Amino acid sequence: MAIKKDLSIEYLGVKCENPFFLSSSPVGSNYEMVAKSFEAGWGGVFYKTIGIFVADECSPRFDNNAKEGVPWIGFKNMEQISDKPTELNFENMFKLKRDYPDKIMVASIMGSSDEEWIQLAKMAEQAGADLIEGNFSCPQMTSHAMGSDVGTDPALVKRYCEAVVSATSIPFIAKMTPNITSIEIPARAAIEGGAKGISAINTIKSITNLDLDNMTAMPVVNGKSSISGYSGAAIKPVALRFVAALLQDEKLAGVPVSGIGGIETWRDSLEFLLLGCRNLQVTTAIMQYGYRIVEDMASGLMHWMDERGYDRLDDFIGQALPNIVPAEELDRDFKVLPQFDDDLCTGCGRCYVSCYDGAHQAIDWDAESRRPKLNDNCVGCHLCLNVCPVQYCITPGEIQFKEGRGAHEVALSSHYV
Amino acid sequence: MSEVRRESYSSEAVRGFDHRTAMEEAARCLLCYDAPCSEGCPAGTDPGKFIRSIRFRNPKGAAETIRENNPLGGVCARVCPYDKLCEEACSRCGIDRPIEIGKLQRYAIEQEEAFGMVEAGSASAPAAGAGAKVACVGAGPASIACAAELARAGARVTVYEREEKPGGVLTYGITPTRLPQKVVDHDIAAVRALGVEFECGVNVGAGVSVDELLTGRGFDAVFLGTGLWAPKIPDIPGTDLDNVYAAADFLKLARVNGGFPDAEGKTVVVIGGGDVAMDCAATAQLSGAKKTAIWYRRTIAEAPADMSEIRYVTELGIGISENFAPAAVEKSDNGLIARFAGRDGASEAAVACDIVVFAVGQGAEDARAAFAVSTDEKGLVAADPATDREGVFAAGDAVHGGKTVVDAVAKGKEAAAAILAYLNQKGVK
Repeated sequence: MAIKKDLSIEYLGVKCENPFFLSSSPVGSNYEMVAKSFEAGWGGVFYKTIGIFVADECSPRFDNNAKEGVPWIGFKNMEQISDKPTELNFENMFKLKRDYPDKIMVASIMGSSDEEWIQLAKMAEQAGADLIEGNFSCPQMTSHAMGSDVGTDPALVKRYCEAVVSATSIPFIAKMTPNITSIEIPARAAIEGGAKGISAINTIKSITNLDLDNMTAMPVVNGKSSISGYSGAAIKPVALRFVAALLQDEKLAGVPVSGIGGIETWRDSLEFLLLGCRNLQVTTAIMQYGYRIVEDMASGLMHWMDERGYDRLDDFIGQALPNIVPAEELDRDFKVLPQFDDDLCTGCGRCYVSCYDGAHQAIDWDAESRRPKLNDNCVGCHLCLNVCPVQYCITPGEIQFKEGRGAHEVALSSHYV
Repeated sequence: MSEVRRESYSSEAVRGFDHRTAMEEAARCLLCYDAPCSEGCPAGTDPGKFIRSIRFRNPKGAAETIRENNPLGGVCARVCPYDKLCEEACSRCGIDRPIEIGKLQRYAIEQEEAFGMVEAGSASAPAAGAGAKVACVGAGPASIACAAELARAGARVTVYEREEKPGGVLTYGITPTRLPQKVVDHDIAAVRALGVEFECGVNVGAGVSVDELLTGRGFDAVFLGTGLWAPKIPDIPGTDLDNVYAAADFLKLARVNGGFPDAEGKTVVVIGGGDVAMDCAATAQLSGAKKTAIWYRRTIAEAPADMSEIRYVTELGIGISENFAPAAVEKSDNGLIARFAGRDGASEAAVACDIVVFAVGQGAEDARAAFAVSTDEKGLVAADPATDREGVFAAGDAVHGGKTVVDAVAKGKEAAAAILAYLNQKGVK
């Protein structure tokens, strides 16, 4: 019998049946799509961004980045905000909220002036949205009065937040761009302007591949291409970093963060929750695999909670955040030597190649037995462990303390699957 | 010189996946819409869904899906003819080769075991004690599947088995190289965790009658999943000689003794062309036979055995002679002579050997006498799955003849649905 655990969570005063939401994007563009996603188990939707501006799209508009046999490590998208009439979108939103009252409807909006932001906020309220998200971060708008160009300007972010907040009492969330050094600066401006929550991250400006026939980037649009947003599994590390920066910022203390960026599995979801996110948004994995991925996101998370004895998300949200510390605070008293399991070893020699060419020449190679042997050069960097293709063949071994540093307990990862 | 495989009788022949190799295989899965592999499974195990769970790093969820749909998920992962079912349906065949669905299923069930999910999952058993009482006769695949489905629906189920251990053909037939006993035990433990009780050493039909179950012991319905256990040996001279065995007896002796007790250094002739014949041949060879040979009356192309099983015995160094039907077994000075008649009407063969095993199918025991139910001309129980006796149902090999384990699971599940409908109609809650 399938496991059952409570995944509900309170987010900005709204009770959500689970933290899994569609992010504002192609995956939540109309009534039928959102309805299907709700049936599949998603807790809510950030409906595809609505503006007064109606997008005029190019074709084709997507590309993906592959490595060896794995496509879609990252995904490039040139689509802008909704290309449907503004009224139709709000009407869809109204019908969805009417037909799925327990699911959470977030209106994602984007204006190019105070008046537009105010108008859109009012329309969102009339449509019955539970929350409103301001898109300050789309990196591929054809107008520079909108999107990530706005999101990198704290004064504009604050001003537009103030405009929205003046027009509605619905909690307002500012969606931030990662195309900036310190994401906290515009985020603080948003909160000063009256926003109640932050979403991060939107896509990263990118060129995925060049087309060698047309001598331009992919996708090729009549011989030309543009820089546009990169998303998917490849950007999760960047997203987690920005999310941690927001959650660790003292001036943003207590501001709920909705995590976005490369979430595909329950484990990805858990990582954002462990940093402190109270809501999760997904697009790219849905574009690749469909709404059905939420089944394993929920089931896998429930199983993990069951394993650890947790009954609700609040039992563990934010647990990892204090352990992300500045580099200068790390314990540098020791090195962890790798240990090699000669029985599991298949004799491929990849550890030897990488250690010699990319690390410290700390592995001697026994050509006869085709086995690695560690020498005294080892600094404990674990490049060998990272490159080894055999599960559990190279694992952390002996801990050696540097001269003059006292021996003490050292916590290690044991999970190298 | 060809290198033939040498391995022990009781160790599993095929190596399973670890996390990494399972992920690599799951990553090959195309994650099809309306997955054809799921359509391809008679028992509804839903590989499309459980492979997706593995792919999205949720092996526990994968195990749940398998367990919910197929109570013999661990067993089927080893013995299913995948190449004729889900893997044949796999869309990846259009690119290169199908996903190794059986091995991924095995991986998920191994994770279930490693995480102790069956032990921890007793909470998932329905409230015991409230539902109708059903007896399942015979603890083979059909009964186990039927019992699990009934228990999930809230029935109190007792499975009666005349042998010492449950499992039927899984415990007393198939070789442990294909199906280790611990895999059978684990699946049965999962069924026990649903609240199903097993009573072994009880011979319903001989010691205890169906009447006694229905009246004396208060069962509301009885399911007959008794399989095919009557040895079928062709009517030719010499089959009553010593060292001439029916497949079921031969395999059972091997299972009970950790290898066939008297095979060391012997020459064994196995007659037949099905999976059971392949199992007998592998058992003989792995038990230390000097030489094992299979003789089959038709051709390999016509043989019912799964190609992977034929390949396996070939790798063990066992030859298969085609188009020879058994004609007689004779006693010789130092053993036996098995005589064969060629299909062409002209060829003949005489093979000196020590042991002859007939693996030409299993027959039905007398169900009419044992359970007072109607049978057909082959002696199979007439059931759809209701028999002509009220409250008595039947399915599996006893009804459909020798089929695969996964077929028995499918039929056992169907029978459970019919029993529930019957109980519901009778107003038994």
